[in-house]
Amino acid sequence: MKGIFSVLVENKDGVLSAVSGLFARRGFNIDTLAVGETDKHDISSMTITSTGDQRTIDQIEKQLNKNVDVIKVRRLAESKSVCIEMILVKAAYNMSNRSSLIELCQIVGAKIMKVAPKYLLLEYHAEPEAVEGFIDLLRSYGIIEIQRTGTIAMEK
Amino acid sequence: MTGAQAMIRCLKEEGITKVFGYPGVAIAPFYEGLYESDIEHILVRQEQSAGHAASGYARMSRKPAVCVVTSGPGATNLITALATAYADSIPLIAISGQVSSKLLGRDVFQEADMRGATRSFVKYSYLVKDVDDIPRVFKEAFYIASTGRKGPVLIDIPMDVQSSELKKDFKYPDQVNIRGYKPEIKINPVQLKRVVSLLSQAEKPLLCAGGGVILGNGEEVIRSFCEKFNIPLVHTMMGMGVLPKKHPLNFGMLGNNGKPYANKAVGKADLLIVVGARIADRAIPKPEKLTRRAVIHIDIDTAEIGKNMGPTVPLVGDLKEIFTMMLDEDIRSSKKSWIKELEKVKTETVDERVFSENFVNPNLLVQTLSEKMDDDAVYVADVGQNQLWSADNYIMKDGRFMTTGGMGTMGYSIPAALGVKMVSPKTQTVAVCGDGAFQMCMSELATMKANKVDLKIVIMRNGYLGLVKEYQYNLYDEHYEGVKLAEWPLYDKIAEAYDIKYMECSSNDELDKKIDEFLASKGACLMVCDVDAENRVK
Repeated sequence: MKGIFSVLVENKDGVLSAVSGLFARRGFNIDTLAVGETDKHDISSMTITSTGDQRTIDQIEKQLNKNVDVIKVRRLAESKSVCIEMILVKAAYNMSNRSSLIELCQIVGAKIMKVAPKYLLLEYHAEPEAVEGFIDLLRSYGIIEIQRTGTIAMEK
Repeated sequence: MTGAQAMIRCLKEEGITKVFGYPGVAIAPFYEGLYESDIEHILVRQEQSAGHAASGYARMSRKPAVCVVTSGPGATNLITALATAYADSIPLIAISGQVSSKLLGRDVFQEADMRGATRSFVKYSYLVKDVDDIPRVFKEAFYIASTGRKGPVLIDIPMDVQSSELKKDFKYPDQVNIRGYKPEIKINPVQLKRVVSLLSQAEKPLLCAGGGVILGNGEEVIRSFCEKFNIPLVHTMMGMGVLPKKHPLNFGMLGNNGKPYANKAVGKADLLIVVGARIADRAIPKPEKLTRRAVIHIDIDTAEIGKNMGPTVPLVGDLKEIFTMMLDEDIRSSKKSWIKELEKVKTETVDERVFSENFVNPNLLVQTLSEKMDDDAVYVADVGQNQLWSADNYIMKDGRFMTTGGMGTMGYSIPAALGVKMVSPKTQTVAVCGDGAFQMCMSELATMKANKVDLKIVIMRNGYLGLVKEYQYNLYDEHYEGVKLAEWPLYDKIAEAYDIKYMECSSNDELDKKIDEFLASKGACLMVCDVDAENRVK
């Protein structure tokens, strides 16, 4: 099963490594991780997604809660949350497929950030499955480079 | 006031009178502070022993104890002791010197990233960069170490922070406010009701006490609970001492090194109440099997619920509070026939192990020794066969049995026993180790002498790393590799070198007399008992 954790932590040095170390030490997997400051400068928000059996997901929540620098842990249900990932991608084109690539971007709502002679630099954000699907579609054009963020999530 | 002086003030505010340590350049300013103070410094002979001694001190005093080391190798030498304390939930404050804050991260002489290195072995760690943070950090460290599930906390302090002057007036905080750490747990009344209802329905309840009972000072309340509702008890190795060995409701230590009848009791029970135990592999090799019956799991640490065992009826909170509440509940006492059934199992269990006549029988040694020891004596067992023979045979009265159950660190017994003696010099204290473990910590004999500690030390000598040898016997066709210690050192010469009384016992016939003499001897005494290398724990 998939676990989505929204975690508020102290915004200070060593906290990220303490949290990721907790996963490593107990053999838990981090699928995605996104970290950023909240509206309060001394608190950061982490969204961590992980997969594992029920025991693993329960343990992750409990072990996160035990960490002194972790202020709050919330387990989000996928169905009741908005989950977003973002990608930046350089998709290759040639004269014969350029318009279909642009059309594809328009259909899914990807933004063209730069038009270069041999590629388009695209920005796209959506739910993780949609991002995955978009990447699949881009493969036929050729992906030169891709950058993908971790999931950020919020309860609806 | 300098940072070092502030550190001393903090320790005094916490009531610390003794610290265990080993100095070096990066902690020198703190030692200057110690020099000016009336806090006693016990110089150990290797940093790991500072941690173990503090562990013994903390367990005996039931309060956090302090160890101090320098940066780099001094600090890394301490890590094993921190891991040991963490595994057994012992509250320690470890203060490590660090290179100057301006030099951090440059790999200068004796720099080691202690916060990073100890991350999985401490409850929390601090790197103090601002001298004015010292009072808050110490207050928090003592609070974190001694509340909730206890454990070690590291304070790493660069030497320039120790030396610099406080910019603000020193004020030790009255209260702690850490937003990510709220150890007070309100007991869930619904869960408590479920537990009480399960207890009332059970025909054959059995309580399994772990080390958490002792850490939570819950011996008395658990004893009252068992007696009031006629509930028999088994215990883990760390839970020894909750009930005296000869108590009619005590059915011994469970686990693969425990009493067969204790394990059979677990099998027969229709309700198991696990208290302050993580139910790791040594206690119950296949915890998933437990779920065939009802299991109540009581622990202060939420993360222990369902970690090794599940599903259970969990109840999280302070066990003293929980059991005090349960004493007032209307719970049906279990029947006399249940206790009778367990007694029958106990008497029917025959020990089929054979011990050779030409050596000291380790079981008899532990039985005779513990029988003759004072009622309130402390017995510190090391790690190896000696630990398992000790746990198996120790006759618990009103004293304490200490050992490292979680980490199983060899060389624990002597420094930990020294720590015990520093709390309570008049309490009879015996450290029991094998000849392997002894050689890991024998340098502490000097600490013992220098501080005039009258510790009694028993070495079970068989010339081998016996437990590994036993493992190789069982699993590797007696391919004994790397386990022979041979005949050195000459223990009488070691005793002579450290100027302590020396005794030897090589047969069962002399045990009685020798143990009497050993326990009655004035000052420290080292007694070597020859155990057959062919003797096994199982």
